[in-house]
Amino acid sequence: MTPPPVTREAPASRVAGGPSPKQHPKGKLFSLMRSRPWLLLAPALLILAVLLLWPLIRVVLFSLQDYGLREIVSGDTNFNGGANYLEVFSDPTLWTVVLPNTVFFAAAAVIGTVVLGTLVALLMANLGSFWRTIVGSAIMVAWAMPAVTGTYVWVWIFDADRGIVNQTLMGLGLMDEPFNWFTNQFTFYGIALLNVIHHGFPFVAITVLAGLLGVSKEMLEAAEMDGAGAFRRFFQITFPSLRQVFSVVIILSTIWDFKVFAQIYLMPGGSGSNREVLNLGVWSYVESFGQNRYGFGSAIAVLLTLVLLGITIVYIRALMKEDEL
Amino acid sequence: MRKRTLPLAVLATAALGLTACAGGGSGSGDVSADGQTLTVWIMQGTNPDSEAFFDEVGSAFKKETGATLKVEYVQWADAHDRFVTSIAGNTTPDVAETGTTWTAEFADAGALAPIGDYVEKAGLSDDLVEGLVGSGTYDGELYGMPWYAGVRSIVYRTDVFEELGLKVPTTWQEIIDAGTAIKAAKPDMIPFPVPGDAEFTAYPWVWGAGGEVSELDGKTWKSGLASDESRAGIQFWTDLATKYNLSSSGATTWKETDVLDNFVQDKVAMAIMGSWTPATIVEKNPELEGKFAAIPIPGEDGGISPSVLGGSHLSMFNTSKNKDLAFQFIEMMTTGKFASEWAEQTGYFPGQTSLLEASTESDDPLVKPFAEQFVDGGASLPVTPKFGAVQAKKTTNAMIQAILSGTKSVDQATTDAATEMDDIMNGK
Repeated sequence: MTPPPVTREAPASRVAGGPSPKQHPKGKLFSLMRSRPWLLLAPALLILAVLLLWPLIRVVLFSLQDYGLREIVSGDTNFNGGANYLEVFSDPTLWTVVLPNTVFFAAAAVIGTVVLGTLVALLMANLGSFWRTIVGSAIMVAWAMPAVTGTYVWVWIFDADRGIVNQTLMGLGLMDEPFNWFTNQFTFYGIALLNVIHHGFPFVAITVLAGLLGVSKEMLEAAEMDGAGAFRRFFQITFPSLRQVFSVVIILSTIWDFKVFAQIYLMPGGSGSNREVLNLGVWSYVESFGQNRYGFGSAIAVLLTLVLLGITIVYIRALMKEDEL
Repeated sequence: MRKRTLPLAVLATAALGLTACAGGGSGSGDVSADGQTLTVWIMQGTNPDSEAFFDEVGSAFKKETGATLKVEYVQWADAHDRFVTSIAGNTTPDVAETGTTWTAEFADAGALAPIGDYVEKAGLSDDLVEGLVGSGTYDGELYGMPWYAGVRSIVYRTDVFEELGLKVPTTWQEIIDAGTAIKAAKPDMIPFPVPGDAEFTAYPWVWGAGGEVSELDGKTWKSGLASDESRAGIQFWTDLATKYNLSSSGATTWKETDVLDNFVQDKVAMAIMGSWTPATIVEKNPELEGKFAAIPIPGEDGGISPSVLGGSHLSMFNTSKNKDLAFQFIEMMTTGKFASEWAEQTGYFPGQTSLLEASTESDDPLVKPFAEQFVDGGASLPVTPKFGAVQAKKTTNAMIQAILSGTKSVDQATTDAATEMDDIMNGK
């Protein structure tokens, strides 16, 4: 097997190191051709650098300062070393309440969203085009609903005094007194979970469905002929060929569910008056922006970015084979 | 590898969103020197017909000074952010309405111009409502000109009280008695909701029992929330819910707007509500017109429990090019004809003492009790930007909510809240 590569390489190197007279004009053309993609990309890269890179650098700079309204007015810098980071790490609320809430909620929400989304996608893949359109439009409605609206709908459903849940439970005689679902940490996050999964699964369903339609039917049929059950067919044929689709939806869901803010902040007690339900988003808002401590808020933002980058890297490594990287 | 750029972009966008607060805001707002235009920010919603009002002010101002008045309306909800971004971008207006709790904050940041000298020159020093001067003063200098304010008292359903033959409460015990009677006769009504996310409804009981929220002791702030007096007040207030069952389980997480909504929906018999709410109640539910009235919040054994004066100042920004002109506008708005018209149209009380006296002589059952509370039972919270941080962290709300939901005892919750308050107000 060795000879062919050699013969293929040999002429190539001869051409590359070819006659010198041609080098001048060709070299210019060559460098122009090499730089052309970059020239074409330059405007976009420049805009990205201005819009994305510079703010990122600013956030890092802010995170090293005691930066408040006074500094905004005066325009002065006020570096305080790593005091913001030290304060973040030494706050007991972060370790006892905020992180557990955020991490467990994100894990549950990602699993719930991806599992439900995949099941719906499988359902839709097996439907005729008419019913697929019907189901597709129905779940699109859930997706299109703004997070704020969706949150209020769930809040009303679980309202302590007049919500349908409490009224039903009391009507059935399962409960004597109305219960305020928002005062308990677990029921609070149960409702938030319903809200976030309900809002997030359509994206997963549509993305996975697109992937499913590309899975080779022949392979599935062959497996069925060989006696593989539905589970085995999904995990040994469908799932491996959808690896990349799943890595994308899982990474995106993780980022979204880790940073969830509006859905928690708008729930009764979620904006800081119920300390047991603080998550990273609300906590950082209350501790920094609510109190004009922009430096502290930036430190939290930097840490959140690093954590999410870390999670993303781990996911990509776990979901992709080495050679796909 | 390409996939990694996607999350990176998402994260970077998030970071961009965070910095946008600090970096944005440029462009309009500069006063052109030749045309003499005065730019003013006014909060939207206080006066339902503010455009007509400011048209009138604008033409009077033009007649008097020759300058054009440019009024921009700002929503309360995003006003604070807009102030911060405009301060950062040096595009602040000449004059703006600032909520009484913000004035010290912006003054501390160096964005406001002191107006004490102007006020003295105009001979107004002794004619301004004391509580509003207090909240407009920072570091011994007056930055906020008292404009208008409201106060919270008890609003109750007169028809319910008449039907059940109840006496209007004048002591704390009588509140319990009336509430218990309503509870028994009208089980569908909430006799007296105790909202868990509304700090301003909790302070009257602290003060009424002789306690303090926070006091300056030399150079350190010391919270009085954990004192025996404050605890007694907070105990009474939360007992209405936990012991006497006069509130509802939903109210544990209510904000003041929820109290108002439920009152409008005929669900509430008594509640702590602002002097600005009666107009809204009638507007949203005309059937309630004439069926409710107000009383000052009773003291423990009679008298009045103090309540926070909340309202707005007119403040002058440092960026204003013609400060004399700016003050001329401030004076025009906060005194005399326009001040009393504004108060009349909005249902708030004016910040000028001589005008306020006229309101206190009113016989309206929805004005007189509030005016009484305003004059004899008005109080203010600590005037320091740090108290804004306490409010942002919801220290008091968290205390009340923890007691209502049963996660903390009164002693524990007040101790925790006092510690947190002291940490924020003295530290960092």
